[in-house]
Amino acid sequence: MIDVKNLRKEFKKTIKEPGLKGSFKSLFKPQTKRVVAVDDISFEVPKGEILGFIGPNGAGKSTVIKMLTGILTPTSGKCEINGKNPTENRKSYVREIGVVFGQRTQLWWDLPLRETYSVLKEIYEVPDDRFKSRMSFLNEVLELDDFITSPVRTLSLGQRMRADIAASLLHSPKVLFLDEPTIGLDVVVKENIRNAIEHINKQEKTTVILTTHDLADIEALSNRIVMIDKGRNVFDGTVSELKTKYGQIRELHFETEERNAAQALCYEKLFGGNIGGLTLEQEGKAVKARFDSSVVPVSEMLAYTLSRINVTDISVRDADIEEIIRRLYQQGVSE
Amino acid sequence: MKQIKRAFKIHRIFVVQELKRMMEYKGDFIVGIIGFLLAQISNLLFLWIIFTKVPSLMGWSLNEVVFIYGFSLVPKGIDHLFFDNLWAVGHYIVRKGDFDRYLTRPINTLFHVMAEKLQIDAFGELLTGVALIIVTLPQLSVEWSVLKVILALISVPFATLIYTGIKTCTASVAFWSKRSGSIIYMFYMTNEFAKYPATIYNTVVRNIITYVIPFALTSYFPALYILKGENPLFNIGMTVLAGSALMALGAVIWHFGTRAYESAGS
Amino acid sequence: MRRAAKIYFPFINAGMQEVATYRVNWIFYILGNVMSCFVSYFIWKAVYSSGGGENLEGFTLPDMIVYIFLMFLTSTIIGSDASYVVGEEVRDGSIVMRLIKPVSYNGTFLFQELGNKLLTEIMLLVPLVVGVEAVRAALMGGIQFNPLSFLIYLVSCVLAYLINFFFNICFGFLAFVVKYLWGANLMKACVVGFLSGTIIPLAFLPKPLEAVFLLLPFASLNYTPVMIYIGRYSGLTLLYYLGLQLFWALAFWGLSKFLWRVSVKHLTVQGG
Repeated sequence: MIDVKNLRKEFKKTIKEPGLKGSFKSLFKPQTKRVVAVDDISFEVPKGEILGFIGPNGAGKSTVIKMLTGILTPTSGKCEINGKNPTENRKSYVREIGVVFGQRTQLWWDLPLRETYSVLKEIYEVPDDRFKSRMSFLNEVLELDDFITSPVRTLSLGQRMRADIAASLLHSPKVLFLDEPTIGLDVVVKENIRNAIEHINKQEKTTVILTTHDLADIEALSNRIVMIDKGRNVFDGTVSELKTKYGQIRELHFETEERNAAQALCYEKLFGGNIGGLTLEQEGKAVKARFDSSVVPVSEMLAYTLSRINVTDISVRDADIEEIIRRLYQQGVSE
Repeated sequence: MKQIKRAFKIHRIFVVQELKRMMEYKGDFIVGIIGFLLAQISNLLFLWIIFTKVPSLMGWSLNEVVFIYGFSLVPKGIDHLFFDNLWAVGHYIVRKGDFDRYLTRPINTLFHVMAEKLQIDAFGELLTGVALIIVTLPQLSVEWSVLKVILALISVPFATLIYTGIKTCTASVAFWSKRSGSIIYMFYMTNEFAKYPATIYNTVVRNIITYVIPFALTSYFPALYILKGENPLFNIGMTVLAGSALMALGAVIWHFGTRAYESAGS
Repeated sequence: MRRAAKIYFPFINAGMQEVATYRVNWIFYILGNVMSCFVSYFIWKAVYSSGGGENLEGFTLPDMIVYIFLMFLTSTIIGSDASYVVGEEVRDGSIVMRLIKPVSYNGTFLFQELGNKLLTEIMLLVPLVVGVEAVRAALMGGIQFNPLSFLIYLVSCVLAYLINFFFNICFGFLAFVVKYLWGANLMKACVVGFLSGTIIPLAFLPKPLEAVFLLLPFASLNYTPVMIYIGRYSGLTLLYYLGLQLFWALAFWGLSKFLWRVSVKHLTVQGG
């Protein structure tokens, strides 16, 4: 379905020295350097999959998405959807895709929302009857009815996002790109949006490529993750594979009367020199210790903790994916 | 043919949307139209005062000068009315990354950008232009023929393309330099020379506005043919040629520009 | 004074950096604006060669040429973007941010723009004055430059700039009424252009009209400095026109203060 192979993108960047002198200098002798935003990315996505596409800031996520959506022309490599290529025939390529950029809107700002859909209908040449049934489907899934007659500029962020998703789905694309679709939204609205995405994916077998900083989105939606860093693939697999591969992180939760548990426990002794990933948070009685079970097994950790202080309500949990990824980001995934 | 039909349909839809938008900000648009009207009126006052001091300007009567002036406003106004969004490309659409939106749609990006906005202010120019032509024509002894009417009507869209082509060429620079508003402005302002008979300028200026940035072809030369019936092959032919060539050049630069487009942000 | 200097220096500096960064753009804009000067130049040349006589309303062709380019120079020197800036801030609501800074509202604008102008002015003033004087010397035979007139011209320009700046601030507050100031700004530019003699010297207008226009603040913008430069005003007349400029500067300063106070009330009532 989607086939990305050895994708690469370089930019030319002007270097400006700081201050007034710098701006003058760059005026007369602008210095440029080559920046490799995307070095070498490859992956394939089968039909109907929801792919979580993640990576730290500056990893090249947006650049890849922009190449896949026909916005940027790759320096080299290929990206194809059903054999169609955005550089060769952009117009027919973009008919197959829908795009939502969380930070930008494609709605007509000053007009009632309904007008946006009637313009897009013409742009994508959606026939009248198809448009009608499509609108009622989108209405049902994304609950647009409450605000479809309001000018776009008066919509709340959550409404705008629903409206944007509907706009990107109007022409029944085979692939939906969602770039930060839940950014800035509150928990309830996030949940609504996730449900809608899931519903559409199930019902229409729409392939979804999702980039997000909120890993709860990924956990809720994706079967598969592609993680990139510094413009290269670093992980490609399912969520559970990610957990088993990198996820030896466990969380120890307990309550104690001890005011300063960290001092009393002194886990550094137990872990010796290898304390990677060890954190300890205390809030009143509740303590949360996070540790790498490949360094110190859970049983040892439990025994040690119980031997040092009095605890109640002790439990061990799997770390969530967010924790794993945060740790990977910190260490630098490419090592 | 089907494509052209579709283009017209989409364009009509954009125009309708723009008109709806305008109804929301009626006052602003009226103020804009009056602004452009006033700009023309102050220039006309200038001409009128001058002609109280001299009987003719290098052999051109007040009526002839005003006709040329009025004629120049028509293609300028049409371009201004329909294709003004090109300025926004040079000012911010590319720099802020808003161009992304156009690239994800299955229609030609240049067409999309141009069709999307309607600059109603332009009626200030268009109305003045048409009014001046209507007022001055009966007072000028013009010999009309069918051919002349046809050629005169043909010259207007191609004169418009001279404006649009120059704007497209210069706006496209933004794909490489991020902003090109000042470059569009510099070239666009050369149209000031087009408002008056080209014979008042020296040879250098005349050659520039005929062959390099050919704004004289948008008014003076067509008007010369209409008024005096001289040399239609050059006076109208060059306008048609220059309009098509500049628009084609603009489209080519634009096409390569969209490939060099770098979007914005990370 | 030193405190003020310290507070406002960052604004001047920021303004200067802006210009340095966008200097190429600025040059293109100037070149675009200069086009209409050349058009006027050719029109006047045609007028004088079309048998209008050597002297029209006290202007010979060399006078007129000098007038055109000085008008351009003066409008650039005294130009102010304040109405756009204020209009934009009113529209997007960021004007509220000016309320929470412990510096005068007008002051921040003024100094930012001054920093911006300081550089552009020097880059423009020297070549243009040299150019105008060269043309004058060539056309009239012998150097005409009068250092005293030039100095008074500069003083007059400063006054004109202040009038223009405060006038534009007042104008920008219109954005509370009209959403987009674009059309209104254009109207303003046309009216000001005509009334300030930029399009045609006021001396060419019918005498009663000229007398009225000379009293209006717009003549104090471009016309007065240019007339001073080319030595049309001297003695008491000179003092009278400088006094008039000062009067208008103070009047618009007062009006801008008043409007600011009104809009602060408006903002605090509306909650921004």
